[in-house]
Amino acid sequence: MTGEREFPSRTIMDAVQLLQNLLNGISIGSVYAIFALGYTLVFSILGIINFAHGAVFTLGAYLTYSMSVGQFGISGLLAGLQIPYQFSFSLSLLLGAVLSGAAGVLVERLAFRPLRSRGADPLLALVSSLGVALVTVNVIQYLVGSENYSFPADVYGDLPPAFMFHFGGKMVVIRTVQVIIFSVSMLILALLGYLINFTRTGKALRAVAENAATASLLGINVDRFILYTFFLSGFLGGMAGSLVGTSFGIAGPYFGVAYGLKGLAVIVMGGLGSVPGAVVGGLVIGLAEAFVPADYSAYKDAVAFAFLFAVLLVRPQGLLGRAQIQKV
Amino acid sequence: MEEFLQNYGFLLVTLVQQSLLALSLYFPLTAGQLSLAAPGFYSLGGYIAAIMATADYFAPWRDALGWAIFPLEWLIAAIASALLAFLVGIPALRLRGIYLALATIAFVEILRVLCLNLDITGGAVGIFGIPQLFESRWGYIWTFGPLLAATLFFGYRLDRSRVGRAFKAIREDELAAGAMGIDATRYKVLAFVIGAVLAGIVGAMSAPFLNTWNARQGTFDASISYLAYVLIGGGRSLWGPVLGAVLLASLPELLRPLKDARLIINGVLLVIATVYLPQGIVGALHRLKQIALSRGAAARGGDGRHP
Repeated sequence: MTGEREFPSRTIMDAVQLLQNLLNGISIGSVYAIFALGYTLVFSILGIINFAHGAVFTLGAYLTYSMSVGQFGISGLLAGLQIPYQFSFSLSLLLGAVLSGAAGVLVERLAFRPLRSRGADPLLALVSSLGVALVTVNVIQYLVGSENYSFPADVYGDLPPAFMFHFGGKMVVIRTVQVIIFSVSMLILALLGYLINFTRTGKALRAVAENAATASLLGINVDRFILYTFFLSGFLGGMAGSLVGTSFGIAGPYFGVAYGLKGLAVIVMGGLGSVPGAVVGGLVIGLAEAFVPADYSAYKDAVAFAFLFAVLLVRPQGLLGRAQIQKV
Repeated sequence: MEEFLQNYGFLLVTLVQQSLLALSLYFPLTAGQLSLAAPGFYSLGGYIAAIMATADYFAPWRDALGWAIFPLEWLIAAIASALLAFLVGIPALRLRGIYLALATIAFVEILRVLCLNLDITGGAVGIFGIPQLFESRWGYIWTFGPLLAATLFFGYRLDRSRVGRAFKAIREDELAAGAMGIDATRYKVLAFVIGAVLAGIVGAMSAPFLNTWNARQGTFDASISYLAYVLIGGGRSLWGPVLGAVLLASLPELLRPLKDARLIINGVLLVIATVYLPQGIVGALHRLKQIALSRGAAARGGDGRHP
């Protein structure tokens, strides 16, 4: 190791390290982006934060695991169960996300619509959505226990576990899962961008987000589009959960809580309710975390919140958000 | 009685403690500020008490002061919380509504990660073996009880004071309050500091009560629990947070026979309570009373208190 510490190779190592950090950051940042978009879509329409989003993230990861691996551990109601029929990873990922979308619809029906129809204080939705999250997470714990689950290395079929290439005599490693995460996230972003900007549904969604009362007067069924939004939000959350789960393993039913909070940092960073903002915010926070030096890695979880705090103080509307107009 | 206290003394003291934490969220809310920072100050106060009670360099203080070290811990926790709240509050309170809530969540999380990694806070293990003030857990009612009584008295007086009216004016309409000559920022920071000081003192009292102190004491989950106490009890009355805390904090205990399913039921009850009691329990009781009164008057048969 001492030989590598010499001056000429040191600068090369730094460049390689830079490249490696960049790749790691973009990969995790793209998942943060699609996860945070789930918050953003709901916020842009209802103006409230769905605290059940972290639980849907967890649910998605467990659903994908059940369908593609389906081997349960030693605690919980399903202890020792092996689900006999398994789907391929890609199909499980898709089905997991769709089912998470359905869970998102359920969250809307249980925690948001009853409050909306009663014209209740929007703050109450924070508590009711957290109640739904509590139920979801504990039902998962009841069924499969609180142990860690990880996807086996061969879950992606014949793909190698990592790609390596040489760069100035040093190795840069890209895990296959990072490539999958990045490409799936980008695909989802492209589809979502198309849906929002170029379809009739997207136009209606934007109209509802701009002003629900006017949209309703123009003949748009607002309640139906709110349901669509929650479906999309749940789909994105479940997809992000599955991708993170396959990369780092599922660390028990509470593993979504930390990501749920980080997602809040991402949306504030980019500007609450801004779709491009969520993407930029996700990438910025992913990269910032990747560049935390190894000596300080214990502080990595605070990075997103330090950013959140700083952005709120300097530019409360976020990087790409619109400034709030103070109404009298 | 002896046996009852043996079994339920801990729970009773916990209920009083949770009521106090709910009140620490209630005070900023009276000025219209949704602050979720209480667990951060609670954690800070607890660490101050735990460090003063166990660290070697405070040993001479402990020997010199005897039991009087405990009130000193509370005082220092209160001062430290006030200073930190002041520093965090001035920039953060320019924010409104959900932005402020998010900023305070960030504050709690940053503090938690720091406590998890610093040497002085004992890292991930935390600080344990904190000396006790009383022989039994039940004894702590003599610190938490008077604090609750004093806080309620303070809240009652505050509500009827110039400051309390300024808080209410800001809650109803900040711009209008400003136009009336109320310095909104000053009163918002004050409301935030009051909540923080209360949470800090409760933390300092809780460290010996719980015997150990670690970073899990100040988490986002706790923030939302306190918010649930206030909203389900009723955020427009001083009694709401207390009632909400007593009911919700005893719920896990009441549901204990359900074992693993109890947190599921807890969540279900949370959703039902928010949907059906949007004004909180105190608000619902108040409305029931009004309905009863108007019916009584309409029927002219009763004294207005008939159901």
